[in-house]
Amino acid sequence: MNLLEVRGLKVAFENEKGEDLVVVDGVDLSLESGQTLGLVGESGCGKSVSALSLLRLLPHPAGKILNGSILWKNVDLLSMSSDQIRSIRGKEIGMIFQEPMNALNPSHTIGRQVDEVFLTHREMKQAEAREHTLKMLQKVGIPEPNVRANDYPHQLSGGMRQRIVIAMALACEPDLIIADEPTTALDVTIQAQVLQLMSELQEQSAASLLLITHDLGVVAQTCDEVAVMYGGRIVERAPVSKLFQSPKHAYTRGLLASIPSLTDPVQAKLPVIQGMVPALADLNTGCRFAPRSTHHHEQEWLEVRPPFVEVEENHWVEACPACAVLNKKDLS
Amino acid sequence: MIKMQLNPLIQRKLIRFRSLRRGYWAFLFLFLAFLLSLGAELLVNKRALIVCYEGEYFFPSYGAQIPGEQFGLNYGYETNYRELKQIFHDQAGGNWVLLPPIPYDPYEMDYRDTDSTGFSAPDWKTRHILGTDKTERDVLARLVYGFRIAFTFALGYLFLTYLLAIAAGSILGYFGGKADMFGLRLVEIWSNVPFLYMVIILASVMPGWWGSGWQISALLMIMVLFSWTGMTYYVRSAVYKEKAKDYIASAEVIGAGPCRIIFRHLLPNVISTLVTFAPFTVAAAISSITALDFLGYGLPAPTPSWGELLKQGVNNLRVAPWIVASAAGALVLTLTLVTFVGEAVREAFDPKKFSTYQ
Repeated sequence: MNLLEVRGLKVAFENEKGEDLVVVDGVDLSLESGQTLGLVGESGCGKSVSALSLLRLLPHPAGKILNGSILWKNVDLLSMSSDQIRSIRGKEIGMIFQEPMNALNPSHTIGRQVDEVFLTHREMKQAEAREHTLKMLQKVGIPEPNVRANDYPHQLSGGMRQRIVIAMALACEPDLIIADEPTTALDVTIQAQVLQLMSELQEQSAASLLLITHDLGVVAQTCDEVAVMYGGRIVERAPVSKLFQSPKHAYTRGLLASIPSLTDPVQAKLPVIQGMVPALADLNTGCRFAPRSTHHHEQEWLEVRPPFVEVEENHWVEACPACAVLNKKDLS
Repeated sequence: MIKMQLNPLIQRKLIRFRSLRRGYWAFLFLFLAFLLSLGAELLVNKRALIVCYEGEYFFPSYGAQIPGEQFGLNYGYETNYRELKQIFHDQAGGNWVLLPPIPYDPYEMDYRDTDSTGFSAPDWKTRHILGTDKTERDVLARLVYGFRIAFTFALGYLFLTYLLAIAAGSILGYFGGKADMFGLRLVEIWSNVPFLYMVIILASVMPGWWGSGWQISALLMIMVLFSWTGMTYYVRSAVYKEKAKDYIASAEVIGAGPCRIIFRHLLPNVISTLVTFAPFTVAAAISSITALDFLGYGLPAPTPSWGELLKQGVNNLRVAPWIVASAAGALVLTLTLVTFVGEAVREAFDPKKFSTYQ
């Protein structure tokens, strides 16, 4: 049984004219216990919105989930009451945000903020919660927890703040941690520390991790499986080694090609994917990558959404004949 | 163990406020003046501070009236302590009376001469330092008690308008959407009800048999009811701004409900932006209550009030210029000081000060 099973998730935002712009268009995801899934893609491709929908945390009232189901331990999150979902947030699913400065309340000490998780979910007394908080701070590598607990967020460095955010997310030992670009705002050296801390803690608690990032290096280092998103859809999904060795979709290949390599000649120009992510209103119904693709697309594939097929074992790709490298038998 | 401590950012603002001399001294002066006015019965009162009568001590400042018989006088109504002092002095029998520095009550009509027509000029000897008004009430006493009432009134006004504005603003801002859409329209409609007319109309239909305490509270309620809307917009936009920040999402992610998020996470961050408005609200409240009194729709007579003094003074400008001079002087001084405090608070809270590069 999968811990999390997302089927056909469709999320839209309403613009000023009252039209729905579909941001996430039929996304399927599944996650087993203890597994790490990386969700990669360019800015604006819908990765963060997909992740926020898992906690039903869409901006109100503009964002709404149009379709699909999110099965958490076989119960549909979308049919839960707000009270039920609140008891899952923080307790069973924890979330780590991108900007640790913004993710902490500037007017409370960090101790109080971590306490709050325990007070909300564990019916603890304040003193008991503080004890757990100090243990948690110790766990995420904060030196002198009992001193630092009385600090305010602005008194800590970025790396320390992200550790606090991680402590908050992991306080109740959730079964799933959603990390939305947890290292983007940090220095490279701190990034490595934070990533290592996260995987250590994940191992200790046997939690699953949904890692959203646009950094393929991070993916290679931490994930078991990768899903590549483009234009609100998942275009390719495979175990990490397979994806890096034999990417099937043109977009994935483009992403991988645009990572500089140590063996590249110094003067060589870095390959780029031409064009920009199209505006949401301009997305076509067929293959979303077509406008930026160097291959010619038949009219059919500009209008019809290509099917998502398993080309090798566990290796799924959106089977647009122009973009995807497919074996002959799959095309039939 | 949780220690109560101030956020270092607030500490920094306090230090900055203290370093702004003008505003800080104005604040200290006003604070002291208000504290002193709270104990005005000990400073400005017709009742004595201490009476020593045949070895026994009396402290008549607060509490029930002490009849003249108590001190061997031949009447049963409240002792006239100024006379008593003279009598004890003449007797020279070891009894004594200690009077407050200004031995007059704001309600007391001091007809010491039978041919008195009111408007005694300021005179050090009679201790009417700022003179008397048309019914021989001491102007200074009325100024002091008027200050106490006006300032208490302004603080109450501040508290209640902020309470309403914060409640409405955070509901609109937090829930957003349709609640905001309709709520804000209601607020806009309400804010277009003319404040002055409503206060005048409602104040004039107030039943006269209500005690003056009730009438003052009712006036406060009416004023609050028709002027809380201005601050709502600020609260609403501040809540909107804070709500969009990740730490609110982060609070939601750990499973906090709307109440917890509003009270624990939003309000502490919203209120700091409202603090800068507070002194100006106080100044506005003092001037509007004075204006209403001046027009005759404010505090019920004979409550000591600055507006009423100003009105008397203006009507009798030729006969008694000291009334308008002292009332206007006191008003200008108070409002200027409050504004100084306001400027200093605003400057102390100005984020630009902390992020200039030199």
